[in-house]
Amino acid sequence: MKTPLRPPALLAGLICATALLAFEAGGSAYTKRLETKLLAEPKPLAGAAGKLTYGKKLKVEQVQGQWLRVSDGPTSGWVFAGNLSATAPAEGKGADGLGLDASQTTATAAARGLSPATVEYAGRRNLADARDNLDWLTTQCQAITAEDVSAFLQEKKKGEFQ
Amino acid sequence: MKARSLLSLAAVALAATSSLAIDFGGLTKGLDTLKKGMDNAKDVAKVAKGAAGIGPEEEKVIGESVALEVIGTYGGLVRDETVMRRVNLVGRALARYSDRPDLDWRFGVLDSDQVNAFSAPGGYVFITRALYEQAPSDDLLAGILAHEIGHITGKHALNIIRRDELMSGGGSLLDKYSGDYREAKSAAGEVDAQLQQFDLGVGKITKALLEKGFDAPTEFKADQTGRDLAKLTGYAPGGLRAALTALQKTAGKQKTFSTHPPLADRLKRLPNDPAPAPEAPAPASDAKDKPAGEAK
Repeated sequence: MKTPLRPPALLAGLICATALLAFEAGGSAYTKRLETKLLAEPKPLAGAAGKLTYGKKLKVEQVQGQWLRVSDGPTSGWVFAGNLSATAPAEGKGADGLGLDASQTTATAAARGLSPATVEYAGRRNLADARDNLDWLTTQCQAITAEDVSAFLQEKKKGEFQ
Repeated sequence: MKARSLLSLAAVALAATSSLAIDFGGLTKGLDTLKKGMDNAKDVAKVAKGAAGIGPEEEKVIGESVALEVIGTYGGLVRDETVMRRVNLVGRALARYSDRPDLDWRFGVLDSDQVNAFSAPGGYVFITRALYEQAPSDDLLAGILAHEIGHITGKHALNIIRRDELMSGGGSLLDKYSGDYREAKSAAGEVDAQLQQFDLGVGKITKALLEKGFDAPTEFKADQTGRDLAKLTGYAPGGLRAALTALQKTAGKQKTFSTHPPLADRLKRLPNDPAPAPEAPAPASDAKDKPAGEAK
């Protein structure tokens, strides 16, 4: 026996449908990381068809499951939907033409520890133990590389490897 | 000239609604810049930036400082490399497809018996040991972590501060230009005043996160964002629901999500996704079995 859908259930279903339909053929998508690869086929290990910079507005040409065929002028290729955003990145543009968030973050992201301001803060607030813990966490996290995360995704069949 | 005056006025007016951001704006170049003091022209630039939003380097300093407070309050981290690796691999897999993939994402387990999870600006996510132990499968863990990621991508902690300042009428900006402030600057030194303001700001965020939590609509939004992110990444969309349902059964026995809305309200708003299939048990946190000093 079917239970009629209650309004909250209907609403929840509608929200889900909206989320899934975030990308549509003919609509727009935006790059959200410093560099986004365009692939020749909708497969994670397909050959490269191009590279896109941060904050690029793209035209969605085709939707195939969680893969999108997008174009940037004459260049087109496939991208996993999780690598694009349905809305323009909120961060501003830096002087170098990259997204401010992406460029500033990337410029300093490699193997950096706590900032000097944070170290001084820990001293002022007598948080030596907490600082020791945070240093340990930072070291642990830096030991896990982007390649480790990619290998994990591939092994677990997540992300573009689904 | 007139245009510049108008711009300055507009900037000051905007700052009256976001005075805390001024303090954070001064952190872009680190404390060295702060120590050099500020002239009026610099103030206006900072005011304008504060109104536009806090930059990534400032967010990093704020996030690290808040993270220190969270770790200090919750008795340190579980220093178990297996647990840490699992939490960070699942967390960073999710973060890769979030709206802020290039942040320095850091996931830690707090050595606490309370069931709770927190996020700090700049990419810091913490769950307690008690909550970690209630997430035996990666689907459940992903649901929990994705919710916290949603707070960071939505800049909810930073927005709370702005909103607070808006509601308080920007008193600190007025104080700044008062005779009292100038006296304090010369008597105690400008550096101290700046640092005090920064510490006050961090304290405000920490208090909001650890005592009050976000308001209910913000939590519901993070639930929805997290559920969608987990699904996009390939984890069961019902992971968060399953984790909350399991916690509902143990609620009362232990302090559960004290800084979040009631579990029933959250479950009511989440889609009725089926519970994920059970997986092999995840590595358990063995912090309790370790001698004191190893598990900080």
